[in-house]
Amino acid sequence: MKRRLLAVSAVLCSMGMLLAGCGSNGGSDSGQKDSKSVITAFDTEPQNPLIPGNTNESGGNRPDSLIFAGLVSFDAKGKASNEVAQSIEGNANSTQYTVKLKPGWKFSDGTPVTSKSFTKAWSYVANVKNAQKCSSFFSTIQGYDDLQKAGRLKGDEQLAGLKDVDDTTFTVTMSKPDATFPIKVGYLAFAPLPESFYKDPKAFGNAPVGNGPYKLESWNHNTEIRLVRNNLYKGNVKPKNDGVTFKIYTKVDSAYADVQGGNLDVLDTVPTADAKNFQTDANLQAYNQPGSVIQMFTIPSNLPHFVSGTEEGTLRRQAISKAIDRKGIIKKVLNGTGTQPVDFTSPKTPGFSKDLKGKDNLVYNAAQAKELWAKADAISKDNDKFTISYNTDGGYKAIYDAMINSIKNTLGIDASADPMPTFQEFRNAVDKRSIKGGFRSGWQPDYPSAENYLFQEYDSAAAHGNGSNDGDYSNQKFDALMDQAYAAPSTDAANAIYSQSQEILLNDLPAIPMYYDNAHGVASKSLKGLVADWENMPVYSQLHK
Amino acid sequence: MGKYLLRRILQMIPVVLGTTLLVYALVFALPGDPVKAMFGDKPVNAAVAAQIRAEYNLDKPFIIQYLLFLKNALTLNFGNTFAGQPVISEIGRAFPVTIKLALMAFVFEAVFGVVFGIISGLKKGKWYDSVILIVSLLLISVPTFVTGFLAQYFLGVKWRLLPVTAGNDPGFLDLLMPAVVLGSVSMAYIIRLTRSEVSSNIAEDYVRTARAKGMSNRSVIVRHVLRNSLIPVVTYLGQDLGALMSGAMISETIFNVHGIGFLTYQSILKGESNMVVSIVTLLTLIFVVCNLIVDMLYAALDPRIRYA
Repeated sequence: MKRRLLAVSAVLCSMGMLLAGCGSNGGSDSGQKDSKSVITAFDTEPQNPLIPGNTNESGGNRPDSLIFAGLVSFDAKGKASNEVAQSIEGNANSTQYTVKLKPGWKFSDGTPVTSKSFTKAWSYVANVKNAQKCSSFFSTIQGYDDLQKAGRLKGDEQLAGLKDVDDTTFTVTMSKPDATFPIKVGYLAFAPLPESFYKDPKAFGNAPVGNGPYKLESWNHNTEIRLVRNNLYKGNVKPKNDGVTFKIYTKVDSAYADVQGGNLDVLDTVPTADAKNFQTDANLQAYNQPGSVIQMFTIPSNLPHFVSGTEEGTLRRQAISKAIDRKGIIKKVLNGTGTQPVDFTSPKTPGFSKDLKGKDNLVYNAAQAKELWAKADAISKDNDKFTISYNTDGGYKAIYDAMINSIKNTLGIDASADPMPTFQEFRNAVDKRSIKGGFRSGWQPDYPSAENYLFQEYDSAAAHGNGSNDGDYSNQKFDALMDQAYAAPSTDAANAIYSQSQEILLNDLPAIPMYYDNAHGVASKSLKGLVADWENMPVYSQLHK
Repeated sequence: MGKYLLRRILQMIPVVLGTTLLVYALVFALPGDPVKAMFGDKPVNAAVAAQIRAEYNLDKPFIIQYLLFLKNALTLNFGNTFAGQPVISEIGRAFPVTIKLALMAFVFEAVFGVVFGIISGLKKGKWYDSVILIVSLLLISVPTFVTGFLAQYFLGVKWRLLPVTAGNDPGFLDLLMPAVVLGSVSMAYIIRLTRSEVSSNIAEDYVRTARAKGMSNRSVIVRHVLRNSLIPVVTYLGQDLGALMSGAMISETIFNVHGIGFLTYQSILKGESNMVVSIVTLLTLIFVVCNLIVDMLYAALDPRIRYA
């Protein structure tokens, strides 16, 4: 009996100790919450070390875009204004630029930001020996091709088109006209790097030193990334909090539950299962507004009966597009987290117009759809099965099922969705051109410019594996307009040409726009200053409690 | 005993080799190319992709990749993740968290499983026996992710009794809900196992003999019934400790526990074969060691096994 008492009290003791242990833990937690100015935000583990030129996915982009500041910065609407740059001046046909820097900028380690911080960094990213994922962004700068032959390079060769004039001035010579350059330089890959980077790039990537509004305090891999305000920063962003802590998740669902439970301040997306309720949940505040991502599906330009540029192909593409009840799908399947498309860019793109000729081709019209399909059948009868492939790990099943139903019911044809299990497998099939039918294609811009959507996706220079023109669309008129836009004297002039080029796309339909993804997400009730920027992300610096 | 132990330890070598080869082959056979996937929907610079492939030996044939992995693993160098972190340090960070979680689940299922099992077994047919049986049936039939989400929603979000997710550096309370969810299915099995063992042993001849000799009821149950009933339960528990380690994946992703399951899930998504194989090797070792301990315990519980 005595022995048993002893055992029971031992168990109680150890329970007590465990509880005491967690008590102290809770104490440190509440200590954190007292300093109300640190915001917690959702993130996934960055795929790569936090080097700007090697970051092209949101896990790394969220922290990196706060740690680094480029020549220009974008406001929430996507409008560019000078950040580190004093001025960026181009010549008449946009083949040479002179960049002047504002004096006195410093990295968070105290070293100065000079011309060399940019030119050396850009050359590093462009140099294929360094295996940086964003290297192709530098392809319009002179000397890029010389830095693509891995066998002959050491890794420290510089881009021939970049010349340092002095500490605050450098010139950029392009290999072909590039009117988008002054906007492009706002993209993360164009960020400056301090000298300490080159000593050990990998170590730098785990403890990056930048010149942005925040600096890295710690990166506890697979757990959290802590950023605190960088007092040496003197740019356009005026942070309203003292720091942002990114908590790392593998599942959006647990992050959503955390926001509901008050454990997480902001989540920049919503799990599919909660799309219906997130705007009415009393535990949350939510945002939902047109965003910059466009969702489409591409029909390969050489698909039998759909061949681009032929009358039959064009008729069928238009018929399919008009057979999709986008409004209904957005309302019922997406619960209003999408917007009816009217072009091939997005409402958050500078120069966006909702009155382009041919936008009717993106509107549901059953009668016209049937008529167009019949006209095409009169040219050559199509008895083939029509399929659209997509990856199931992205949560698109419901949308594709609804869309296929809409096409099947309207046109009375044999159409079906072809789901593929993973994104990797799907991309592989797209790259190999092995899909005999339509396939999902989404586009998230890197910088707010129509060029970033149109050139990469539809110019023939980007076809056949040289870019993202995965449908191998080719139209000489369109290509000519792209060249004109690149050589345009101003951004506005270029935008006018981009609008013109989109009217060609609206007729040819190399891809069929389905909806603009809304910028939508949730935040805890007490959080203030919630706005979404042109990248569909909350403006982290403006959040406060 | 020493010889037996040595033989068992030598047996582990082919088991571990075979498992790593199998898992490496499976990860290798995953469709798609992890390097291409790194570029997402964006254009792939073929030269850059080739550089990255070479850096991680992904350009070599399967068997060479595997041998390179083995060679490095023998010197305890498990390579780096795509984010440039040594695999070994990532595992070192995640492992203690999973051990904490698994041990909590283990204690929970062992204590409650055995206690409720004995009560049920001794008082068969009473109303609380029926209640215990129904609850255990429910726990067995509902998948862990459902119990997980339900617990999270009600205990965490709605009633705010426990933390919704565990997060960074979790303490006892943070891990309580994930551990209970993780251990609940096994607990249900242990209840049923203990119950049937106790109720059949209590009718055995040796129990009757012991009672006839005038032994007190308590001594009969503790010394004879429980000792014999617990042999299969200990076997189950021993194997389950390994299963808890690997089965933590669902529970860890639901509750955002930054342990081995979380790490495995993330590594499979990214196609990081080194990480996946290293983790699985470790889990295999744990399984084998747990089995070994179970066999040793057997001998302690049942003298017949010891002398055989």
